[in-house]
Parts: sequence; C-alpha cells; structure tokens
Amino acid sequence: MKKLWFLFFFLGLIISCKKPYLPPVIAAPGSFLVVEGVINNGSDSTIIKLSKTVNLSSTTTTNPILKAIVTVEDNQNNAYALTETAHGKYVSAGLNLNNTLQYRLRIKTADNKEYLSDYVTVLDSPPIDTINYDIQSNGINLYSGTHDPSNKVKYFRFDYTETWIFHSKYFSQFKSNGDTVLGRDLVNDNIYQCWQNDTSSTIVLASSAKLSQNVLVNNPITSVSSTSEKLEAKYSIMVRQYALSADAYIFWSNIKKNTEQLGSIFDAQPSQLNGNIHCLTNPQEAVIGYLSVGSVSSKRIFIDNRILPAWVPNTPYNMCIDTPLFYKYSEGIQKTIVNQIDLFINYNKPGPHFDVLIPIDGIFVPGAGTPIGFTAAEPACVDCTIRGSNKQPAFWK
Amino acid sequence: MRKFYLLCFCYLFFMQMASGQQTNNKLISGNFQQATIAQFVNGVESKSSYHFYYDSKSFDSLRITLQVNDKPLETILDMAFKNTEYHYAISQNLVFLTKGRQIKTDLAEGYLETTTTAVAANQTTTVADYTDERDKKVPEATTENKLYEIGIKTNEIKPGSSRLSGYIRNIKSGEAIVGASIYVASTKTGIATDQFGYFTIILPRGRHVLNIRGLGMRDTRRQIILYSDGRLNIELQEQVNSLKEVKISADKVANVRSAEMGVSRLNISSIKQIPAAFGEADVLKVVLTLPGVTSVGEATTGFNVRGGAADENLILLDGATIYNPAHFFGFFAAFNPDIVKNIELYKSSIPEKYGGRLSSVLEITNREGNKKIFTGSAGIGLLTSRLNIEGPIVKDKTSFILGARTTYSDWLLHLLPEAYKHSSASFNDVNLGISHQINDKNNIYLTGYLSNDKFKLNSDTAYSYSNKSLVLKWKHNFNNKLYSVISGGIDKYQYDINSTANPVNAFDLGFNINQTNFRADFTYYLSNKHTIDFGVNSILYNVNPGKFEPTGAQSLVLPQVIAPEHALESGLYLGDKYDVSSKLTINAGVRLNVYNYLGAQVVDNYAPNLPREPVNVIDSTSYKSGQIIKTYISPDIRISARYLLNDDLSLKAGYNTLHQYIHLLSNTTSISPTDVYKLSDSNIKPEHGDQVSLGIFKNAKQNTLEMSVEVYYKRIRDYLDYKSGAVLLLNQHVEQDVINTQGKAYGAEFLLKKTAGKLNGWVSYTYSRTFLKQDDPNAGELINGGAYYPANYDKPNAFNFTGNYKFSHRYSVSLDVAYSTGRPITLPIAKYYYGGSERVFYSDRNQYRIPDYFRSDFSLNIEGNHRIHQLTHNSWTIGVYNLTGRQNAYSTFFTEQSGVISGYKLSIFASPIPFINYNIRF
Repeated sequence: MKKLWFLFFFLGLIISCKKPYLPPVIAAPGSFLVVEGVINNGSDSTIIKLSKTVNLSSTTTTNPILKAIVTVEDNQNNAYALTETAHGKYVSAGLNLNNTLQYRLRIKTADNKEYLSDYVTVLDSPPIDTINYDIQSNGINLYSGTHDPSNKVKYFRFDYTETWIFHSKYFSQFKSNGDTVLGRDLVNDNIYQCWQNDTSSTIVLASSAKLSQNVLVNNPITSVSSTSEKLEAKYSIMVRQYALSADAYIFWSNIKKNTEQLGSIFDAQPSQLNGNIHCLTNPQEAVIGYLSVGSVSSKRIFIDNRILPAWVPNTPYNMCIDTPLFYKYSEGIQKTIVNQIDLFINYNKPGPHFDVLIPIDGIFVPGAGTPIGFTAAEPACVDCTIRGSNKQPAFWK
Repeated sequence: MRKFYLLCFCYLFFMQMASGQQTNNKLISGNFQQATIAQFVNGVESKSSYHFYYDSKSFDSLRITLQVNDKPLETILDMAFKNTEYHYAISQNLVFLTKGRQIKTDLAEGYLETTTTAVAANQTTTVADYTDERDKKVPEATTENKLYEIGIKTNEIKPGSSRLSGYIRNIKSGEAIVGASIYVASTKTGIATDQFGYFTIILPRGRHVLNIRGLGMRDTRRQIILYSDGRLNIELQEQVNSLKEVKISADKVANVRSAEMGVSRLNISSIKQIPAAFGEADVLKVVLTLPGVTSVGEATTGFNVRGGAADENLILLDGATIYNPAHFFGFFAAFNPDIVKNIELYKSSIPEKYGGRLSSVLEITNREGNKKIFTGSAGIGLLTSRLNIEGPIVKDKTSFILGARTTYSDWLLHLLPEAYKHSSASFNDVNLGISHQINDKNNIYLTGYLSNDKFKLNSDTAYSYSNKSLVLKWKHNFNNKLYSVISGGIDKYQYDINSTANPVNAFDLGFNINQTNFRADFTYYLSNKHTIDFGVNSILYNVNPGKFEPTGAQSLVLPQVIAPEHALESGLYLGDKYDVSSKLTINAGVRLNVYNYLGAQVVDNYAPNLPREPVNVIDSTSYKSGQIIKTYISPDIRISARYLLNDDLSLKAGYNTLHQYIHLLSNTTSISPTDVYKLSDSNIKPEHGDQVSLGIFKNAKQNTLEMSVEVYYKRIRDYLDYKSGAVLLLNQHVEQDVINTQGKAYGAEFLLKKTAGKLNGWVSYTYSRTFLKQDDPNAGELINGGAYYPANYDKPNAFNFTGNYKFSHRYSVSLDVAYSTGRPITLPIAKYYYGGSERVFYSDRNQYRIPDYFRSDFSLNIEGNHRIHQLTHNSWTIGVYNLTGRQNAYSTFFTEQSGVISGYKLSIFASPIPFINYNIRF
C-alpha cells in the first residue's frame, strides 16, 4: 500500500499537505500497567515483570514499575508475597502451590492503585517430548512435539533461548596490559571463542484443539537461516512450553497479530487486548497482560555445525583488516622512527591512540625469538567478548 | 392582414345571424350505422332544409351510430355528438359544426347597446380573443389541444375500463423518456414510464386529461377519449430553458404519491450543476449529497448507504454491473456525464428484480442516440476532455450514441520536481449504445462500456485496471398487457500491478472478475389495480482472486496463484403493485435467491466450533469442475406501502430483506484498485440484511417544495470484518482472516427540496449509526470484548446543502456545502515491551474519530446565447473547489522512524482549487 501513497504525495505537492496528526489521546495517553509472567506452581521461581506503557513518541520502551507490592493469592485466603528485584521484576522462590486451588495476582503500585487478576486454574504444561529440526536449503527449521494424556491442555505458548558458539575474526595470542605486549593466557583469557544467546522476540503459539488427541507433532518453533552466525560452530536451543487456557490463547494470538503491523487506515484493523487483570481503583483503566498459573516444561538440544551442509555464515567482520605494526617504524620522508606498538596497542603509553588495537600475532625476523612487531586489529574483529561471553555456560556440552 | 379579413368576415357573419335568428323545429328521422360525417350530413340535409357547414378534416375520425324517429335536429345532434368534443350551432337553417369550440350564434352581451366606435372596439376584443388564442396555441395545438381518440370509436361510450399503453419519447431525438409520469386527475391515478419509455395505464372509458411530466421535458397534457384498449405514443418537447433548473424527481407529485420509499432520481442537468473538482460533472458525487448517503472519504467514489459498506451497492450501468466506478483513484467517476441520462438510487424499497447487494441499487441510465439528427457535444477541462456523437443509422428506427473521455494529466505531473516527474497517469472510457426498433412490438438495445485506468509512479510500478461490459437487450410486447425484456451480457473487471524496476524482483500481480448475466423480466398489467412483475435472472461468476507471477527471464519471483472461484447466483421473483384504493398502494414482492458455489476448488474443512485458524484445519476436499460445493437458498421479501393522507401528504412504510454473496476484501474503507472480491463459499456465509423504514412525505407550494422525513432500522448478519492483522491479498485461506459480524444500523433522514424558482436546490440532514459486533467466542477473537463497535463508515451526522441561484437564463451560481462527522479509527495510543518485543497498544476498535469533514464548493455557470438554432451551444463553468481551504483528512497514518511512532494526517485538496471547464454542444 505504501507505494500508492506516492501518488498522493506527488499530487500533494500542488494540492495536498501532510501534517502531524496528534490527537489528544496520543499526545497525552494514559499510562497503562503491563503485567508479564507466569505464576509457577512448582519448585521453579515465579517472576512477574511490571512496567508501564510509554508514549508512541518515546524513544525507549522500558518503563519498569518500582516499589509495588505484589502478592499471589489463592481462593482459600492464603497469600504469597513476591519480592522486588531490579528493573520491575518481582520474584518468589518455588511456591509449590496446590493444583486444586485457584490463584490470582494482586498488585498495589506506589501511587496507590490496586490491580487484581481473575482467579486462574492451575494448568500444568506436559513435558516436551521432542525438539527436532530439519535441514532445508536455506537453513534449519526447529520443531517441538508434546502430548498430554490428561487431555487438559489444548493450547500452548512457547518461548525459547538460543545459545551458540561464535568466533572472532582473528585468533589473538597476545595481549597488551597497557604498557607492554605479552603472551595471552589462552585458557582463561581466550577471546576467540564465545557464547552468545538470544531470547525469542516473537510469540509462538500452538493448538491441538482440532485433534481428537492432545498431541503436537512437528510444531514449528523457529528457523535459523543458513547464513546465520548461529550455525557457525555449535548451536543450542532451549524451548520452554507453557500451557494456556482457551482465553489465554486468544489473548496471545491477539497480541501477536496486533503487533505485526502498525495501524494506518490502510492496515488491517487492530483490536484491543483483553487480559484477565483489572484495575480496582479505576475499572475503566486498561491493563495489559494475561496471568497464567502452572508449570513450565523445557527441553534443550544441540546442533553441531559438522552435521550441517557447508554453509557460509554472514559475519560482522567484513570491514576487518589485520594491520602489521612495528616497534621501529620509519615514517614519512624524514624517516622518523616511531613505535607503532605503543601508539596503537599499548594504551597506557602516550600517543594519539585513535584506536586501541588488539595484537594478534607476532612478526618475527627469521631466526629471531622476539617479535619486531605484531599484527593487530580492531577489538570488534578480535575480541568476541564484545558480543558474547567467553565463559562456557553450565549446560553446554 | 389575415387577421383583419377574418375579423371582417366574422363581423358580417354575426350581423347576419343577429338579423334573423329563429329556430327551425322540423322533425327528422334517420338511421346511421358507423356513418361518417358526410353520410350523416347528407342524410340530414336530404330530409330537411338545413344546410351544414363544417371542416371535414376535423370530423374525419367521427363515426355516428344513431337511430332516430321524428326528433328535432337539436336532439339528433346532441345524441350524435354526445361524449365527443364536437359542437353544433344552428342559425335559421344553417348548421355550423365545430370541434372543441362552440360558435355562439348570439351576439356578445351588451353588443347592441354600445356605440359604433365601441362596437368596433368590442368586436375586436371579442373576436380577437378567439383568433388570437387560436394563433397562439397553434404550435402546441397539434399536441395539447387535440382530442386523441383511443380504440374503436363509438359515439356511445360503454361503461367500464380500458387499457391505454404507449411510449413517451423526446420529439427532437426520438429517445425514450424514462420515468416520465402520467397523472390522470379525474381518477387520481398515475403511472411512470419504464426504462424504455413505455407505459400502460388502465382508465375508465371516456374522456380524460393526461398530465405528462418528464425529466428535462416541458410539462404537457393530452386529451383523450378512451373507447377501448388502445395505444398512444406521446412526444414531449425538451425544456429548452431549463438548463439551470434543479429537478430531482421525475414527477413533482411523485414525492408524495409513489409507493416507493428511499428512491432518489436525478437527471443529468441537475448533476451538472453541482461543482466538482476540475469542473467535470460527476455522477457519483451528486449521489453523496442525498440524504442517507455518505462518502467514504475525500476524493473517493465509494459511498455508504444507510450504514452499508461500499461493496453493498449494486452499481448498474444500463444493466451492466460496474465493480470499480472510479477513475484516477476516485478523483473522477467512471461515468461520462455527456452520455448519462439519469440515475436512480434505491436505498430502501429495492425492486424485487434486483438482488445480491445489501444496501442499495444505483441504476445509471445512458441516453439513447438521437433517432432524427446527428448531434454531439464536447467538453474541455484542465485534465480531461470528452466528446460524444449520436445520430440515426436508420432514421426513426436505429440510432447510435458514442461517448469517449480521456485525460492528459501527464503534463501536470511533468511540472513536478524530479522525484515525481517520471510518473504518469491516464484514464479513458468509451460508451457505445445502439438501439433499434424492429417493429412496434420489438426493440433491441446494445450497449457497450469500456474503461481503462493506468498509472505509473516513479517507483516503476505500473498499476492498471479496467471495466468492460456488453449488454444486449430485447424488449418484446406480447400485447398491451404483457411485455418482456430479455437481456444477456458480460461484465469484466480486472486489475494488474507490475514492476520491472528490479529485474530480479520483477513481478506481475493480477486479479479479475468475469460475470455472465442473463435476465428475463416480465411485466403484466393484470387490471387497473394490479401490475405484476416477474422474472428470473442469473449471474455466473468467474473470479481469479489473484496471481503473482515473475516477469522477465531474470526474475526469481516464485509464482503464486490463488485458485479461481466459480459461482452461480440466480433469482426468481414475483412482485405486485396493488392499488388498493386511490389512497393506498402496496408494492409487494418475493425473490428467491439460489446461490451455488461451484468447483473446481479445494476447500479446507475446519473443526466444528473452533475458530477458522490454520491450526484448526482438519483436512481439505477437492471438487471437480462444475460440481456444486455449497448451495445457499434464501428468500427475500420486499414490501412497501403508501397511504395518501391528502393530496400533498403521504405516509410510506417498507420492509425488505436482502442477501449478498460477493464480498469486497479491503483493508481500506473505499474501493481501491488492489482490493479483491471474494465469493461466499462453504466457510464464508452470505451476508444478510433486513430493513424496516417509515417515511412521511409532504409537498407544498404547488409541489415546488418537497419535504420528507424517513427513519429506518436495519439488521445485518454475517457482515465480513477482519481479524487483527488480516492479510487479504494473495491469501489462499481468506476465511482464516475474516470474521462474520452482526450489525445494526438506524437513522433518520430529512430532506427539504425546492424544485422551482430562481433559487432551487436541496438541504439534507442525516443522523445515522452503524454498529457491528463479534461476540461468538467460537469464531476467534472477540472484538472490543464482544460489544457493539461503530463500523468503519459510521458517521452520525451528515449535512448537505446544494443550491443554485439563477440570475438570468445565462448566469447562475451553485453552492455545495457538505459536513459530516469524521469516520471512526482505531488508534495506536501507547507502546510497551512484552513477550520479547516492543508492542503497540491500540485503542478499542473504532473508538476514536478522525476530524470532522467540511467542504464548500462554488461555481459560476455561464451559458452562451439561448437561440435554439445555432451551430454550437457553448457554456463555461468556473468555480472553486473547497472554498474555505479546509484541510480535511484524506487519511491518517502512522509510521515508525528510529523507534519513534509518529502520526500524520494527509489532506488532499487542502486549499481552494479553482477550475474552469468549457463545454460545447453541436
């Protein structure tokens, strides 16, 4: 539809005008509570994130709510308090709830507004049976499978964390301590191989409602492109599966569709979300979020690059150059001798230090034991800890 | 000089009579059977000393059947001329027979008492009145004052009723006049001509005066004596000086008298008075000024009638369905104002012969070609020009009319800065009409229509769309009571978008809809109380919902073709117009709709009671070509009634039900050239609507002031709305992205119209609401929690003023003012972080409104001189569109730039736009 606009724009030059459209509701919108999280009925911790919506014109999205009082209540007058940690997260260690009771969440914010969710029945997620993948020409597709013999759970939501090994462009065997270049501790100070992780940013939903049995087979979770760096060496994904009620499923599918596109009058009509949390102080105030109670099941798999086709990853290293630098470098017509190592690598030494470069390899005169210089490159090309962690995660194998 | 002689003659004549007036009392006997006047006169003269004077021409149609024995001449003549317009005067033994006027054998009262000079004066006055009037009336006397005798003439009129039928035509062009009304004051009955100018009326035998009114025609009357069933063709004069007269209704009394409700008729001359952008008369813009009709938006041609969506209007051009009635993205209507004769919009009492749309039927009738002489017209505007020619192929039998329009807007585009310079846009349309009269009972009509739109933006993406249609109609009169119209035709609408800018991505996207129509409509005049309409019609649809293909050898685009859809929509109808009494008229009809969705097709089956989502597809079924996949049978009821409280005040009420089987899938509210039509199938139910309406109609000041108030309430079932984030184009499973909503609409419409005088025009105000709801949890997401929400086109208040003030026959000004509430919009109002991403928080659906719409247009019309006989007639239209320069929202939209979401309001025609147009008629 966008192209059609151009027609109007050109006509517009003579007869039309485009002006900011800022109705009062957008200029000064109410600020709405956003509640995200699942009450975990088992031994795992429960994390509830509270935040507020921000204006469309705001450059940041996060607006955590601090100093709120958050409690989980059951329908037999028991209450469990959650404690505030950083960034609007309210946490409780394993609650070990009684699955036959119903639970709700009560939130009292610092500005004395009170919110309460509907009572929610505990819905445990059945275990994930499989996480499998298939190899396509353009990448891999990942699937999950589960079954629920109790026939209680028909709707599912998934999120996942991907972790993968990646490498920097150059394998640095030297390191500057600021004053001088030394050999690198390749075990504890390895900056060539790192682990990076990412969490899902799309909402993944599934339903077995049309089936006579509650079985999910080859349920698509995500896909990884063949050119992704994620598949460069070894890739792992942990999929978490949440059980949803039918209402919760509708809520999540709404939020999924609503946020695929921005609303113009040429776009599909969005619709407002109706969660199960309400404001007691002002019943008209919208609250975003759907509270579920239940266990979360998860499963992890590893995919080694060696079993994949010989795909070439797209790395952010296109601009990387390794530059030879010398202790004694004769510069210009006057043949002034400069110490390039101090200038570019030893960052404590006086010098312009346009860029602190990281030494990679030594440059040796044949037969000599000490290097006359080093090849070096920008940290982004050498130091993988800029984008990830060089500590192997505990689960890695 | 001649007058003088005549006066002298009369003078002598009266003197003579005055000198020896006495009655001759001789008794006469005779027996005449179907005698001509000559036989009768000879018979009487031979038996008496009387001598008869008469004009044999005036008496050529008289037949006298008479048997008398010894009666005085007066008695014989009384009997012979009873119930005729013939008169006699006896002076001594001289008998003067006259037609229409009686000769007085006495001198005018006081004649002999006056002086000689006074005598002369009086003489002049008395006699001059007689001759003067005769002279004056001569041009029209041949028509208006002639007594037409219908049927087999007898001097005695049998009691009972007979049927009169015939055509009403334009005397100049021979063209049929549609919707002309015949009103018989003596019986308070009336009838309007049909689309062929044909009428049939049942009247008591005897003498009547027919008052005839036609759009753009001079009001006239005909005197008839109805002896038995017969025919009368009436030719009407064009109203030459009526160029500036706003006439809305075919009949000044139709407002009150017709049983139809919610019907608006407009002829082209009133359409042409409404100022339009770029000065080109726009058929559809005028429709928007009528009560109950609102515009979808600025510079769009889509319109909403009584809470219906833009696709719920059936637009018929001489029987051909037009799917996209707009050129140039809605800046111009796709109808050539030089060819269009009139338009009729049915928004409440939809005749039972039409079906398949929920809201309204807009019938656009093109003119027939001039059957007598070759004529033409041309118009030149800033962006468009048009030309039409018409004339006889065989004089009085066969005629043609050809109209064409084209645009040359590219020059305007080339004036633009570099970024837009390489754009191009053009459109054209061609209308052809051929009508042929085979004989008195058979006529055939062939109409063709072709419209093309093309535009290419700088982006190298070329858009094009076109409407094509061809209709052949055969009208056959079986007899005076029964006639039929059989027609067949094909309509095609297609669009195409292609881009070759990037050879790798070069694509061609196409959509088309082909329909083949057949209809047979019959009208049977059962009696003077019943007129029966019945018939059958069918439409075979072939829709290619979308095909996306690579173009060029380098293109890597993967072809994507949505399987074509086929369906057959048929209707069988029967309707009766029943005049219960002179006060109460009822139109009642039923229509049986049968809709078959046909193969070849693969249809997905969804689990019962679950939303139609990809996850709920169980399996799919393949159907062979022509196999019936799904049949919907649904009857429609159409009832309307009129009760006349008095001559200029009536109450009308109506109830109707309608079904719709073809749906426009559009994420805009208007009809845009990237929208697709979807046929009802196993998963998408037909839309259903029913409406009850009530109205009060009042005429005042000799029918020059018309007032009406109408209220309606409408229920809508299974109207298609869209799920959040619906994808409509190239969607293999459209049913997964749409939802059936239930709706209600209600409103009140007020209209005050002045049809005559220097100032004429109309004011309308409409209050209307339209709400939809989706509260079926099995259908998927609830919209606004299942509560009613305003439809996209819900505009509670709409006000229109259209006025024309005539300074003189040559100069007039028009002013057009429109106001309406802004349409609803769902706004993004905040954003937040959830589920791993930034999300946008929307208001309730359609909770907010864009700013109100207001526009006023002004134009000055200058006519050339009004001599009828000149080579060309010229006129100028100069005006300003959007006089106040208000920046109405054409659209509001939101874009994200570096993490910030900003809203914009786009206005087009945001400042006063002057225009000028030159028209020429030859």
